[in-house]
Amino acid sequence: MKRILLLMVLGMSLAQLQAQDEPRNWTVNGYLKNMQTLLFFNDAYPDLSQGKLVDTFFQDNLIHNRLNFRWYPDDNWTVRADLRTRIFYGSFVQASPGYGDQVDDVNNDYFDLSHVIFNERAWVMHTMLDRLYLEYVNDKLEVRLGRQRINWGISTVWNPNDIFNAFAFTDFDYEERPGSDALRVKYYTGFASSVELAVSMFDDIDEATMAGLWRFNKWSYDFQVLAGYTRGDWALGGGWAGNLGDAGLKGEFTYFLPVEDSDDDPAFAATLGLDYSFSNSLYGSLGYLYNSEGGIRNSITGLFAFELSARNLYPYRHALFAQATYPVTPLLNAGAAIIYSPVQAHALFLNPTLTYSIRANWDLDLIGQLAFDQEAEGYRSPLQAVFFRLKWSF
Amino acid sequence: MKRILLLLFLVPFINGIMMAENDPTAKEIIQKADEKMRGESNIATIKMTIIRPTWEREMTLKSWAKGTEYSLTLVTAPARDKGTAFLKREKEIWNWQPTIDRTIKMPPSMMMQSWMGSDFTNDDLVRESSIVTDYEHELLGTETLEGRNCYKIKMTPKPDAPVVWGEIIIWISKDEYLQLKSEFYDEDGYLVQTIYGKQVREMDGRVIPSVLEVVPADEEGHKTRLEYLSLDFNEPIQPSFFSIQNMKRVK
Repeated sequence: MKRILLLMVLGMSLAQLQAQDEPRNWTVNGYLKNMQTLLFFNDAYPDLSQGKLVDTFFQDNLIHNRLNFRWYPDDNWTVRADLRTRIFYGSFVQASPGYGDQVDDVNNDYFDLSHVIFNERAWVMHTMLDRLYLEYVNDKLEVRLGRQRINWGISTVWNPNDIFNAFAFTDFDYEERPGSDALRVKYYTGFASSVELAVSMFDDIDEATMAGLWRFNKWSYDFQVLAGYTRGDWALGGGWAGNLGDAGLKGEFTYFLPVEDSDDDPAFAATLGLDYSFSNSLYGSLGYLYNSEGGIRNSITGLFAFELSARNLYPYRHALFAQATYPVTPLLNAGAAIIYSPVQAHALFLNPTLTYSIRANWDLDLIGQLAFDQEAEGYRSPLQAVFFRLKWSF
Repeated sequence: MKRILLLLFLVPFINGIMMAENDPTAKEIIQKADEKMRGESNIATIKMTIIRPTWEREMTLKSWAKGTEYSLTLVTAPARDKGTAFLKREKEIWNWQPTIDRTIKMPPSMMMQSWMGSDFTNDDLVRESSIVTDYEHELLGTETLEGRNCYKIKMTPKPDAPVVWGEIIIWISKDEYLQLKSEFYDEDGYLVQTIYGKQVREMDGRVIPSVLEVVPADEEGHKTRLEYLSLDFNEPIQPSFFSIQNMKRVK
C-alpha cells in the first residue's frame, strides 16, 4: 500500500519536474480523476433477500490515478509502463459482495498484473499495469512484446476487427481501453500501409488469438484485411476509412468460423458509419451494426452485463447509432449519442455529455447513461446513471 | 561592336527583369509572399493562445511542412493533448490520439472546422488550399500600413477550390513581401475575420512577421494569437517523412 502511494506521489512529482526543458530519455504523464456516480434502478435491481427486482438508488465515488512511464534508452528501444490505480467507495460497492474481486477479474489478460490493495465492505482499492511492454524500432520495423493495446479497429463506434482487445462503448471512463499480453511485429510498407502479425500469450489454444493484418491506401481510402485464429474460430475480416464527398465513410466486418464441428455457429459482425463536420463545428455521426450473435428478445439491462468480444460487440442483433457534438464555446462541449436496436424490446441507449474546461489541464464532465426498453409494464427506463467527473491532467 | 550588339540583345531581358521588379503582377506578389513564409519546406515551433474577454488558453505545437501537399503537426502542450498529431498528405488527413493508441482518418469536411477551439480552421493549420493556385488575384492599388508601403490585392477563389471564403483582401509590403493584413469575406460579402502579421523580425535569414493574430469580425475581445518560437526553412524533408509511422513517433 505504502509503496503504491509512494509511486503515485513520485510519478506526479516527476511529471511536474519535466516542465524544466532539459534533454532526457524518459517521460511521465497521466491524470487524476474524481468521479461521482448516481445509479437509479426502476424495478430492475435484483434484491436477493426479497427474490425479486426492486427500485433502488446508489451513490458512489471513484478516485482514479493514471501514470504513464516511458523510457527511451536509445533510438531503437522504448520501455512503456502504465499504472492505473482506482479507489471505489459508496453504496453500490457496499451492496455488491466481492466487488474487489470482480474489478480484479475483468481487467487481466494472461499475466496477473493487478492487485486489490484493499477489499473492504464499503471500499476497494485496486491497482494494475494495463500497459507494460518493450518496443524495438528499426527503420520500418516495429516489434512490441508485453501488455499492449493492439488496436485493429478502423471504424468510428464498433470495431469487429478488434479481435485482441474489444472494448465496451458504455465504459467511457476507460479511454485507454484494455490491453493484451502479446507479441506484435509490424512492418511499414508505405506512408499509410503496413503488415502486422500478432499473437497473444496462451496456455490453451482455446484462449489464443493469432492473426495478421494488412493495411494499404488506394484511391484516397485506407483499407485493411485481417485473417487469423481467435478463441476457437477462424477469423476473416476487413475494413476501410474513406470519404463520400466531404463526409467520412467507414466500414468494418469480421466473419468467425468455428475451427471444429461444434455447437457454435459461425458469427458475422459488420458495421457501417458516416460522419460529417459542419463549418460551425457541429459534428454528426451515423452508424449501423449487424451482430449475428446479438439477441432479438433480450431486455436492455443486458447492456451492462454481456460477454463482450469482437464476436459480440453489442447485446442485440441490430443497432443504429446517431451522435452529435457541438462546441458551445471553445471551453464547453455538448454532445448526445443514441443507440437504438429495432428488436422486440426496442432497446434504446441515450448518452448525453457536457464537457467543460475549467482551466488548462482541468476538465469537468457531466455524463448521462439512460437505458429504455419495452417491457410488460410498457416502454420505460429501468436503468439510469449520472456521472460527474473532475479530471486533472499532468 | 560585338559587345554592344550583345548588350542590345540583352536589353529585352533586362527590361523584363526591370518590369518584374517595378510592377509585378498580383499573382507574382502573392507567390513571393507565400514562398517567403513557407519556403520549400519548414519546421516550426509555435505557441498558440486563444484569447477571450474572460479567459485565455495556451497551446504549443511543432510542425513540419513541405510545399502545400505535406504537413505534420504535433501538440506538445498542454498535458491533456500532448502527443496528439495531425498528418496531411494532399487531400487526406489523419489524426493520431496517443491516449487511445489510435489513428483516425478525418472526413474532408473537418478541414473548415475550428482547430482545437481556436479561431484558426484546420485548413489554416494544415493548409489544404493554396493562396497561389486556388485564387484569382487582382491588384487594387497601394496603401501604407504600419509605416510600410503595401500592395493591396483582392483574391477570389476559383470555382471548385476547397475554400469557404467569398473573397480575401490582402496587404503585402513592397519591401519584404510581408503579409501584414488579410481580410476574409464570406460569400455574401460580410467580413468574417482579419489576420494581422505582427512583430516583424528575422528568422532563419528571412524577415517575416513572427506573430499572426486572427480576429473574428463580430466578436469583441476575441482573438487567437500564433507566435513562431522558432522557424527553419528549407531543411531537407523527404515526402516519406509524412507517414502514419512518423505521426506516432515524432517528438
